[in-house]
Amino acid sequence: MDDFLLELIYVVQSIVDGILFGTTYALIGIGFTLIFGVMHKLNLAYGAVSIGGAYASLMIFHLVPSPIVAYLASAVATGAFGYLVYLCCFRFLPLSNPLAPLMATVGAFLFIDEVIVHATNGMPEPYPSVFDEMIFFGEFGLRSDLLFVFAIGLISMLVLMYVLYRTRLGLAVRAVSQQPVAAELCGMSQERTNAITFVITGALGGVAGAMIGASVGVLSPLLVAPITIKGLIVTVIGGLGSIPGAIIAGLAVGAFENLFQYFRGVTERDMYVMLLLFLFLTFRPGGIFSSSIGRD
Amino acid sequence: MRKTWVLLPAIAAVISMGFVAQPAVSQERSVKIAGFGARSGVVRSFGVNTEAVMRAAADQINKSGGVKLGDGSMGKIEISFDDDRCNAEEGISVLRRIASTDAVVAVGPTCSNVAEPLFGILQKRVGDAGDSGLKMPIFTDTAIKGGLAQISDWAFRNVPNEAEMYQSLFVWLQKENPELKSVYGGVEEDFAHSRFTWHKVMKTKSGDAGYNVLGESKWLLADTNFTTQVREMKKANPDIIAISAHPFTTCGVLKEMARQKVKPKLLVGLTSSSSMETLNGCAEQAEGIIIPTSFAPVTPEAEMAAAAAARFDGSADLHSAAAWEIVMVLKDVMESQGIMAKADTVDADRAKVRDGLAALKTTKGLLGTIKRTDEGEALKPYVYVHAKGGNWKVLHDPGI
Repeated sequence: MDDFLLELIYVVQSIVDGILFGTTYALIGIGFTLIFGVMHKLNLAYGAVSIGGAYASLMIFHLVPSPIVAYLASAVATGAFGYLVYLCCFRFLPLSNPLAPLMATVGAFLFIDEVIVHATNGMPEPYPSVFDEMIFFGEFGLRSDLLFVFAIGLISMLVLMYVLYRTRLGLAVRAVSQQPVAAELCGMSQERTNAITFVITGALGGVAGAMIGASVGVLSPLLVAPITIKGLIVTVIGGLGSIPGAIIAGLAVGAFENLFQYFRGVTERDMYVMLLLFLFLTFRPGGIFSSSIGRD
Repeated sequence: MRKTWVLLPAIAAVISMGFVAQPAVSQERSVKIAGFGARSGVVRSFGVNTEAVMRAAADQINKSGGVKLGDGSMGKIEISFDDDRCNAEEGISVLRRIASTDAVVAVGPTCSNVAEPLFGILQKRVGDAGDSGLKMPIFTDTAIKGGLAQISDWAFRNVPNEAEMYQSLFVWLQKENPELKSVYGGVEEDFAHSRFTWHKVMKTKSGDAGYNVLGESKWLLADTNFTTQVREMKKANPDIIAISAHPFTTCGVLKEMARQKVKPKLLVGLTSSSSMETLNGCAEQAEGIIIPTSFAPVTPEAEMAAAAAARFDGSADLHSAAAWEIVMVLKDVMESQGIMAKADTVDADRAKVRDGLAALKTTKGLLGTIKRTDEGEALKPYVYVHAKGGNWKVLHDPGI
């Protein structure tokens, strides 16, 4: 095959791989952005909770050795952890002091990370995957597990969009995020809505954690910090509070990351991703899309 | 009532006799060895195993009487273990704290990125009055990056010499498999040990052994996606792939290799990956990977050390088994140097331990005799192991 054509295939391959893996970044980004949209607060423990839920699902997997059951268990466990984080880091803290919940979530991040480390001694734990083969079209190959991750990610996002825009619960979430006082006056409990938002985003994070575990094949505490950072980058590039922005930014960051790695190598890759972040912060601080869920 | 009052002085006398008798009991002094390493964070298992092995070794020594001190009395070894989180600043802080106690020697750290700056705060050359660096002997069991002990006369290591191990391995592989001609590397680029071992050891030693080194793919310790790197391996189509990475990314890469059907004729791994972590994460994909290691339970002593470590909830491996050897060597050195293990002899005892360690030419190891270099490094016996059926099995013993 012509060298140029082969090179082109590899470039396209890198972009496609990045987009597929970017689904997990998008899911994490949505979690960050949804909480920010509703409470105007960052939950830095979100990535740790997502991986924590995936770890918890391994216990269920050992009882019922089905990957799908493990993924569902991850969503349920992370939903519960999300509620706990809400109680510990937001519910009883003075939200008027922006540092209080922020630092509480930093503490929760470190705490969850260390709990995982102590429970596993830092050892990598194999995580089940439904598919583990590659589908080849000549030199071009698609990872079936990443396609699965992409599909699950899309389904999760569609379910979330349905809940947000087609249900009374979603109406309450949007109302509280846009006009908390008016929503309260209309009988929507802010506290209840906030708690439900944490459970929903937690469940979404659980899916993301499970999908990350499935695509890597292994769970490790090493995953916690990178996905938190990637989630935050995605949130900023997508626009704080914008769900479509988080989706597009997640996929784009995945693609750019792989592309930078292909052309400049792994040691420079993250520099370019950070540069992208700075460019957005400087020239488009509102992100790709302006906030669609946010207080007036 | 009156009888009670009469009895009181007698009771007081008995109690006071007890107090008087106490100094006689405390004749048995304790010899403090301060372990430190990563007991939290992602390399926690290293510190946990080192601590368990140190305690197991100390327990064995104490059960057989303890350490004979300079004045003829016996001292019991007392192990403490501090967490440095594999962080240079915390490592330095931990060592300074240890230096302020009456520990006569420190054993650690886990990570090379801690060891390098840590050795830098020690006095460089013994007797240099102008150097106010710490005068605390350190005997390292795990931090493996090449050549670190030469930083200070107070630093000693009992880590395997990877340069020698990989040189020997590649020469042996060449002899056993003359049809294999090329090597391609995979390296975890942001970790001191794995980076050093690929660029300065595996790459050069495989080239020296006559292999054509086709290139290398790089990734980072916390990477999760290895598709690009494995595609590079596939493109290079080497006979041997040498992976210089720790278990998490080694498993990630091996799984990606399986997906992309990259099947080299031979796989070579990093010394640190010859652990249960790798088999726990990806036994199936790691099947057949060959790794040189300075520990395998192949001698009665090694078997006994492994069993003792297990009793203390630890696992003896390449790194932690070195801690067993260190505690045993320290006992011999402390006895031969006649340390006193008293509060007012701490500095002198530390100097004696350092001098004793510096004078060693050979020590007893779990796999055989360990040679000591003038730079404070060890030349340890080693074997080649390979992953087989979810276990590490000895493939070849170059010492035979």
